[in-house]
Amino acid sequence: MSSQALFSSLVLIALLPLLSALVATVIPASHRWITPLASSLLLALASILSLLLSISQWNEPTLVWEKTWFTLGESTVTAGILLNNTTLVLLSVVTFISFMVHLFSIGYMAGDKGEQRYYSILGFFTFAMLGLVLADNLLLLFVFWELVGFSSYMLIGHWREKDAATAAAKKAFIINRIADLGFIIALLIIWGHTGSFSLTSFNFEEQEAWRTGAALCLLLAVMGKSAQLPFFNWLSSAMEGPTPVSALIHAATMVVAGVFLLIRVFPLFTPLALDVVVIIGSSTAVLGALAALHQFDFKKILAYSTISQLGLLVAAVGTGAYGVALLHLLTHAFFKAGLFLGAGAVIHSLHQAQHSSHVHFDVQDIRNLGGLRKEMPITFFCFSICAAALAGLPLFSGFQSKDAILVSVFSWSGDQVWRQAFAWTIVITSVLTIFYTVRMLWFVFFEEAKKTALLTIQEVPTIMRIPLVLLSLGSLWWMVAFHPLDFSGWLLDSIQPNQEHNLFITWLSLISIPTLTVLAFLWFKYRKKPTTLGFLQEGYYLDYLNSLLVTKPILAMSTVSERIDKKGLDGIIHGFAYLTVGLAHLLAWVDKNIVDGLVDASGRLAKGFGSIARSFSGGQIQSYIFWSVFALVISLFWFLFY
Amino acid sequence: MHEYLLSLLIFLPLIGALIVLVLPAGTFYGRSIALLIALLQGLVFIFILAAYDTSLTGLQLAERARWISLAMGTWGEVRADYFVALDGLSLPLVGLSVFIFIIATISSWKVEKSRKGYFALLLVLNAAVMGTFCAQDFLLFYLFFEFMLLPMFFLIGIWGGARREYASIKFFLYTLLGSILILIVMIALLLSTKSSNDTGTVVHSFSITDMTNSANILSQSVLDPQRGLELFGISVRVWAFIFLFIGFGIKLPMVPLHTWLPDAHVEAPTAISVLLAALLLKIGGYGLLRITYPLFPDAAMQLSWLVALFGVISIIYGALAAMASKDLKRLIAYSSVSHMGFVLLGVASVTTEGAAGAVYQMVSHGVISAMLFLLVGVLYDRTHDRMIENYSGLSSKMPVYFSYTLLAFFASLGLPGFSGFMAEVMVFLGAFKSNGVNGLIHESFAIVATLGLVLGAAYYLWTLQRMFFGKYHFKSSTENTSLVDLDQREILMLLPLALITIAFGIFPQLLLNFINPFADSFTETVLQTGKAIQAIIRP
Amino acid sequence: MSLQSIYILSALLFSIGLVIVLVKRNAILVLMGIELMLNAANLNLIAFNKTVPASLDGQVFALFVMVIAVCETAVGLAIILQVYRHYHTSVPDEINELKG
Repeated sequence: MSSQALFSSLVLIALLPLLSALVATVIPASHRWITPLASSLLLALASILSLLLSISQWNEPTLVWEKTWFTLGESTVTAGILLNNTTLVLLSVVTFISFMVHLFSIGYMAGDKGEQRYYSILGFFTFAMLGLVLADNLLLLFVFWELVGFSSYMLIGHWREKDAATAAAKKAFIINRIADLGFIIALLIIWGHTGSFSLTSFNFEEQEAWRTGAALCLLLAVMGKSAQLPFFNWLSSAMEGPTPVSALIHAATMVVAGVFLLIRVFPLFTPLALDVVVIIGSSTAVLGALAALHQFDFKKILAYSTISQLGLLVAAVGTGAYGVALLHLLTHAFFKAGLFLGAGAVIHSLHQAQHSSHVHFDVQDIRNLGGLRKEMPITFFCFSICAAALAGLPLFSGFQSKDAILVSVFSWSGDQVWRQAFAWTIVITSVLTIFYTVRMLWFVFFEEAKKTALLTIQEVPTIMRIPLVLLSLGSLWWMVAFHPLDFSGWLLDSIQPNQEHNLFITWLSLISIPTLTVLAFLWFKYRKKPTTLGFLQEGYYLDYLNSLLVTKPILAMSTVSERIDKKGLDGIIHGFAYLTVGLAHLLAWVDKNIVDGLVDASGRLAKGFGSIARSFSGGQIQSYIFWSVFALVISLFWFLFY
Repeated sequence: MHEYLLSLLIFLPLIGALIVLVLPAGTFYGRSIALLIALLQGLVFIFILAAYDTSLTGLQLAERARWISLAMGTWGEVRADYFVALDGLSLPLVGLSVFIFIIATISSWKVEKSRKGYFALLLVLNAAVMGTFCAQDFLLFYLFFEFMLLPMFFLIGIWGGARREYASIKFFLYTLLGSILILIVMIALLLSTKSSNDTGTVVHSFSITDMTNSANILSQSVLDPQRGLELFGISVRVWAFIFLFIGFGIKLPMVPLHTWLPDAHVEAPTAISVLLAALLLKIGGYGLLRITYPLFPDAAMQLSWLVALFGVISIIYGALAAMASKDLKRLIAYSSVSHMGFVLLGVASVTTEGAAGAVYQMVSHGVISAMLFLLVGVLYDRTHDRMIENYSGLSSKMPVYFSYTLLAFFASLGLPGFSGFMAEVMVFLGAFKSNGVNGLIHESFAIVATLGLVLGAAYYLWTLQRMFFGKYHFKSSTENTSLVDLDQREILMLLPLALITIAFGIFPQLLLNFINPFADSFTETVLQTGKAIQAIIRP
Repeated sequence: MSLQSIYILSALLFSIGLVIVLVKRNAILVLMGIELMLNAANLNLIAFNKTVPASLDGQVFALFVMVIAVCETAVGLAIILQVYRHYHTSVPDEINELKG
């Protein structure tokens, strides 16, 4: 394919979702039924195009198209597309998952008041995400980075009348904004020291401190977007949004943008920075998994699971195995999207059932669910496949990618004790993952029906089953390699070939993971009452810490600054004003009583004369005449007798 | 006709004002004439764009006529010219002014109280603003600068809200104080500079171009760096810089000289708020870039850190105060303080990025703040209530209004894709780079300033959540028939603004074509002249 | 009849006219008083002319005065009428717009 045609088709792929957004906005409300179909069609087109493109361009040399975006003095900032294997993987994943979510939404969002708005923002999100994936420089990437954050804000807060949803949206955006300061500062450092926004070459001229600084600042941004340690509480609240959105944005695509960024700017990271990356990633992984084990909300389990898996991805990049991270990103995108859509299917059909039977309870609370495997067999089947991939059972994609992560972590740790400690947290995370996955599966599908027994539940419509089936197919081993136990397949061989293998770890996983799964099933079967720790259920009280350490001080400062404005600054101004006015009054008194006194005296004199003269002119003609005659007579006498 | 374009731009509104005044009172012609004049100015501006050459640095479309010439015997001659011209700094601002005046006139369409006077004053203000941005002669600039106060005082004082007298007097006094400081420096400059090419007698010219050239400083004059006159242990040149900085800082406004702004905004009618935020504040930044920095580059190099510090304080403090505001209009007024802080920071960096970013921010803020104030006006027209806490769930009642508000809020909080983001990024880049390039301000200023972005997001999103989301109600009553969605006139005002901020956000080169040459020459002149003068002071 | 008596008559007439002008409040009466004074003057003019028989100056003057008196009366009455219409009074004292 010629370079120009390739460029055009990439632009087309990115613009198709934008077109979908536009279509969803302009379709009149009377024809709103067209919207989901048109949007899905456009996304299908985009996804097919990008799949074809990916297959044809796989393993081709890196291509860059650049055009001048703007110039600042001597320097030029370009905008363009960077195309390599990483881009192709993400391109296909984003368009495909987005297409699946669009399909699923046709059923899920049917009859929603803001359906058109939903599709337009979903389309816009996909566009922004594709832009992020394709961007060839950091500034452009940051533009789309923020735009996906914006779409996430709009979609989390899709149900505008729901206070929890809008609060979660705000929280997500602001926490991401705080983390994005890191991105901005990294941009500043990179621009200030290298004079470009290039994604691939970082010419720091021996200034390793600045380089590490830039890398750590970028890591901060990644920690926000990919919900890492101190920032991950936004992701669990983000579950207030529609479930397909959670599948697309908060599991498969946007949250992995951070990991994608790490992979893109991998050359920037100094060994020191990489160590920090592993520490952050592995702590998040284990903390997320622990919290997932103590959630009762169906979607929150998945949210914390996502946090934990994102931690694994970040840790994998930190160990230097960015290819492995990309591999797990791919498999995770499929099985986690599948899990979320499965959860969505459960929630949807329970809502439908509640609607017809007028029994109301929280359908997301797993303590209320149970026994759904009989009522919703297809959902159950697909959900189980994805769950097995999450748990890392052999024959599922998760096994291979997790195996790869474990191998790379242990090869990174070597003999260093502290490194081994972090490597072991990854192992613990994997074990915990099995437990929370089984717990979720058990309570929703296996346990005897509790409140759900009151309802007549039906399987979701076909349009929602298709994505489930497709995604669960994508969670099988062949996504990674033809050999079900080997992680070196088409992807890893092309991105980061010659990954070390560790047969000991592979075999150990092969044996221990199924064993642990069975154990977990038995555990939950015989331990009836679900328990939880408040500390873990509340996500380590991060929300509380947030408000204590950030929100409240800022609000207090804002009140103080407003008071300074009103009382302090304006007080000074008013003080000056009163002083001036007081002085003016004093001067006025002096003027009136002393200066004016003299003037008044002469005035009064004049006035006295005036009043005499005035009495002659009383406005009466006859008195005028009298006086003139009188004067005439007097003057006559004068003339005659003197 | 090229040579008269700028005069046409400045005097058209004055002619319009005359016509409005001659017309009988109580007719609707006043507003039509005002709109016609504004549109004609738009046409003139298109001609200006066509005649302007972006590849050139320096002043273009210059018009120069002898205005005042006083022979003062042996001391020389005082000369002030009618000297108007445009460069990469003036042109974007003039364009912004032309555009905003059209919008403001449409926005004033429904003014009821003594229309004739209102539109006449609006046109006078228009002329003064155009003149300020075009004038290249200090006296002329000062004249227009002061002339702006008069219509503004009456427009706030007569057509304003409940506390309009207080607000207008506060505005007037504050600005007057600034003007006096500028006047002092202007006189000092007149005394100590001469014209570039005078034969025989010394010509004390008011031309800014002449004043900028350090070779024109008279030896043994007040501002002669070699003479090194000091006042309270600080060089007179530094004092002059500080005076100009305060004078323009009041206009900008910069914390702590900003308290006139929230009051003036809250009390002013919508269209006047728009003009105030979009244009009048820009004169502060314009003055810094045109006069303060080029005329006293040596002092600027000494004190840039102070300018940057006030910029950062404005950014943070304005955002915090906005967060605590209960009145929507007050919130937006404070957000203006915060955003104009970026201008200070950009100017203080004296880098191409920073200077370009400052100009970009001025234009961008002009467009975005106009949108924000129009939106507040829309709500106020309907309910006469601006208190945030009295509203909830407006998005369901006024969806189109909500969309525009969402757009304006996100544009203002610096979402990429809108002009504000571009401007802020450029300012940050410049401020961060400054230490490495010219050593004027430390990197930490830029880093601390980024906090403003988070605070911006916080207060805007909080406002969105409080006013637009949740269940609909207004002041505890759920039924209010007056809350109807935007009408066509309002969309006509808002849509162009929205499109422009998006266009400038995606294609910054549209504006940078004009700004770049100016930013380059500004940086170069200030740094070179500054170093040269400093070399004289400390050999 | 001696000239002296005519002088006395004319002085009396003039005085009566003057008194009327000064004391009467009604403008019409004032006008009549003025008329009396004018006629007293006419009488004087004719009487004085008798001492210079060759000349007719006095008579001519008297005729002039009569003509002017008619005009003056006409204008004066018109003014009074207008004033009456406007202020509903013919008493000048009640009209004091010029009062200082």
